[in-house]
Amino acid sequence: MDWLLVSVMNGVVYGLLLFMVSAGLTLIFGMMGVLNFAHASFYMLGAYFAFSLQARIGFWGAILVAPIIVGAVGVVVERYFLRRVHQYGHAHELLLTFGLSFMIAELVKLFYGNYPVNYRIPGSLDFAAFAVGGLDYPAYRVLMGGVAMAMFVLIYLLLTRTRVGIIVRSAIYKPRMAEALGHNVPLVFMGVFGVGAALAGLAGAVAGAFYTTNPNMALELGVMVFVVVVVGGLGSLGGAMLASILIGTITSLSVGIDASLSDLFALFGARQWAEGVGGLLTLKVSSTAGTIPFALMLLILLVRPHGLLGEKG
Amino acid sequence: MKPYRQIAGGLVAMYLGTGMALAAPLKFGIIDTLSGPQSSTGQLYRNAMRFVVDHINSNGGWNGEPVQLLEYDNQGGPAGAADKLKAAISDGVQIVGQGASSAISAQISEDVRKYNMRNPGKEVVFINMGGDALELTGEKCHFHHFRVSGNAPVKIKAMVLTMKEEGVLGTKVYSINQNYSWGQDMEQAIVDAASFGGYAVVEKTLHDTNKIQDFSPYVAKIAASKAETVMTGNWSNDLLLLMKASKAAGLKVRFGAVFLDQPGNIANAGEVALGHYIAHTFNAEHASPESEKFVKDFTAKMGHFPQFIEPQGTWGMMLVAEALKNVKAEKGVLNVNTLAKTLETTKIKSPLGEMSMRAADHQAQLPFAVSVVSKAAKYKQDGTDMGFKLLKVYRAEEIASPVQASCRMQRPN
Repeated sequence: MDWLLVSVMNGVVYGLLLFMVSAGLTLIFGMMGVLNFAHASFYMLGAYFAFSLQARIGFWGAILVAPIIVGAVGVVVERYFLRRVHQYGHAHELLLTFGLSFMIAELVKLFYGNYPVNYRIPGSLDFAAFAVGGLDYPAYRVLMGGVAMAMFVLIYLLLTRTRVGIIVRSAIYKPRMAEALGHNVPLVFMGVFGVGAALAGLAGAVAGAFYTTNPNMALELGVMVFVVVVVGGLGSLGGAMLASILIGTITSLSVGIDASLSDLFALFGARQWAEGVGGLLTLKVSSTAGTIPFALMLLILLVRPHGLLGEKG
Repeated sequence: MKPYRQIAGGLVAMYLGTGMALAAPLKFGIIDTLSGPQSSTGQLYRNAMRFVVDHINSNGGWNGEPVQLLEYDNQGGPAGAADKLKAAISDGVQIVGQGASSAISAQISEDVRKYNMRNPGKEVVFINMGGDALELTGEKCHFHHFRVSGNAPVKIKAMVLTMKEEGVLGTKVYSINQNYSWGQDMEQAIVDAASFGGYAVVEKTLHDTNKIQDFSPYVAKIAASKAETVMTGNWSNDLLLLMKASKAAGLKVRFGAVFLDQPGNIANAGEVALGHYIAHTFNAEHASPESEKFVKDFTAKMGHFPQFIEPQGTWGMMLVAEALKNVKAEKGVLNVNTLAKTLETTKIKSPLGEMSMRAADHQAQLPFAVSVVSKAAKYKQDGTDMGFKLLKVYRAEEIASPVQASCRMQRPN
């Protein structure tokens, strides 16, 4: 029972981290139709910037400033790169961000080296929030979850309850009309891209200390973030939240399940046969934990191509 | 146009001129992961090969000529390695080296075997510096493949013996490994060592390789098993994240991890790493004149003391360099079959002790060191105040694993 509780909590917090990164990606896609391959690179930049800054302005300062710098990088990318290729269509934008992700990874290696850097959670935050089943539950995980929840609420309120939100939504829905009414639509797009990048940067700054800050972190998380966005529905913030938590908990719980298909056959008295066949039949659920999200994505694409909460078409 | 043509003509003449004046020099080729996510390891193997090639050349080269090292980037995958092997062979490379990832080693080994079968008289030899999967010296063994590093049973045996002696092993061991050839070998080795280690394997886990971000579910599982020691062959992020997650959860276990010394690990793990054990091919604080000389020479060339897989790559290639001394050129070129036969009987004195090649399966017999992460270590890791304190050195025969029955080596006549 304790194990179940710990696993669910672990899964939810990991899911919330996935949400922090995928929120920006799904926002940018929903608003601009740009599938941003470099998005996870912004996550990595956030972690590295926070690592560099924390020595000078402390951990909290770094967590606040790093996302702003990443946001500024995002603005530059939108203003001077994406906007130029926008007229050639989505394929070009996609290729541009794809190339950008490689360049950012190589630049990071150039400045910070090939190996993980020494970015860790500060001692003052390194304590147990509570204990369950003989294991401490780190306070920092609670903090990560809290940051993600606060972020979700803020973005949601910003988009639905403020004037800025109205302009942003109208700029997406009918860009020409919004422009005719005197709103600067390119500026709105630039702002959205910048905010999306900054959110990923914030996730990186917070998570980089807990996990590792290394030149592969974009690659490692990037794939999972795409899975989240596809499962949740491209462009849907609520969908991203739902899919993140779903994927987080499923992965976490499946680690503890040592059953395999041969157990199913055992019900019909065919265990020996199944174990003799081997291969897929004896593969334990626990050893496929990393693959289950991809299976889920495949399933969603087959039965509900627009995602859990995505809009049709 | 005319001046250009003259220059071009001059260059061609010069090129032909050098070609005629000297016989083709002996070429080493490294086909490793030099770019992309796993490049950090591939580049260390390159350091090792550069070091040995320089060493050979400073001692007069081979056949009176300096040897060359050509570098090829396999871009992290077997497909790239297959392409680059073809390129290397057509560039005249006769000695191929590689180390990062067993999957890539397997590809190169198979391709070398096929090429040699189809091109008798033009053979190439593959020096495997770190593809530790057992099948490479088992069912896939062949005459032109030599593994100069250790393997899972050898590393586990050294580690278990020391941990038992130090009284830190406990009776409950948890095995967690990556789900591919290397991790599966490790799991088997951990289970097999239970008899002389005097422990029970309470739980075995295989997980996806370098795909998992959050290890807390695995830590919960380890805690539930009440294990005292966790043994793992995990490397890179899979090891770091596992250690960090167990620290965050306040889990009291000791790790025995064979890749604990990968650069960046200790810095990133911090105090979490203290008290964990490792079996490796060299420890810079080993007190012997040979070790001190090696550390000094290596540091002078590379700017850092030899660490992680650099020593095993270096001494593996030193074995080849020693064999080359006893092989004479035939019509100005190296006969690879002669080299391979010589290599089978070659012995060198590596810093930790005698190292040789076992002819039956081409698995090098090399000494191993077991160390513990400690602040008392002489050489500090990653700019921290911690390093690897040497506990024990095992001679090759103390920890050797037997030849696998599945290896049936075909020898040329």
